[in-house]
Amino acid sequence: MTRHDIDCEQALRKLFDFIDHELDDDERDAMQHHLGACRSCFSRADFERRLKDKLHELRHVDLEPDADERIRRLLRSF
Amino acid sequence: MAVSRQVFESRVLALLGSLTGVARRLTRNDADAEDLVAATIEHAWRGAETLQCEAAFKGWIFRILHNTFVSDCRRAAARPHCESIDAEESEDDDAFSLFEQMHQPFLLWFSNPEQAFLDKLLREDLERALADLPDHHRLVVVLADLEEFDYAEIAEALAIPIGTVRSRLARARSALQKRLWHQAQAYGLRAEAAETVAGRPQERLT
Repeated sequence: MTRHDIDCEQALRKLFDFIDHELDDDERDAMQHHLGACRSCFSRADFERRLKDKLHELRHVDLEPDADERIRRLLRSF
Repeated sequence: MAVSRQVFESRVLALLGSLTGVARRLTRNDADAEDLVAATIEHAWRGAETLQCEAAFKGWIFRILHNTFVSDCRRAAARPHCESIDAEESEDDDAFSLFEQMHQPFLLWFSNPEQAFLDKLLREDLERALADLPDHHRLVVVLADLEEFDYAEIAEALAIPIGTVRSRLARARSALQKRLWHQAQAYGLRAEAAETVAGRPQERLT
């Protein structure tokens, strides 16, 4: 195997590290190389990435104006 | 490390949305979340000397948020949903993959059932599955997937090693996918997704 070759088992073990951007450059290159050649692992990675994106869409960070003002008043009191 | 009031204020305001978002997921209640964020900011300001360096501000203040929530829970037995926040893995330890469930050979007749499933997945389905997770699983998913913390930031916020972040996140995602699968079975979503892709009616598959 060349430096870039990993098998499906290795790819699946590193899949979430890949999706979460936790791999180093070499590991990411090896993963991308594998996903480019393996339809099954590519489909799995695509599924997990889309599910992660859908979860991210649940993010709800807007504060009510009253709550925002309460926090700003608190900060000014220090 | 002493941090100036001005720097403290600007860092808090930059993170206020995330602090509120995580607090809402922990308390499941906007009023309690607002109180938790306010208490966190007060504790952080009073303990500003415990901040190692400005770059560590994010992990540091989320650790205070987490600790404040855990302390509040221990004081208020009236919040039964807080019980599992410190729990170690006790359920859903067996790895579960929604993709593998959907990617059955017989379903391959319907092109990409797992992609069709995602297309059909509603916000409410995800909210319900997320809310049903034990607190320690929900929190790690919220930090990683909703708030997009990296593993080092999660480790700092929860005061656990990165290896534990990785394993807890894997178990939490597995538990979440198991709940989505059960919902899909309950609603016949799996069959519906397959029908949509196939373009013709099918008998329920579940």
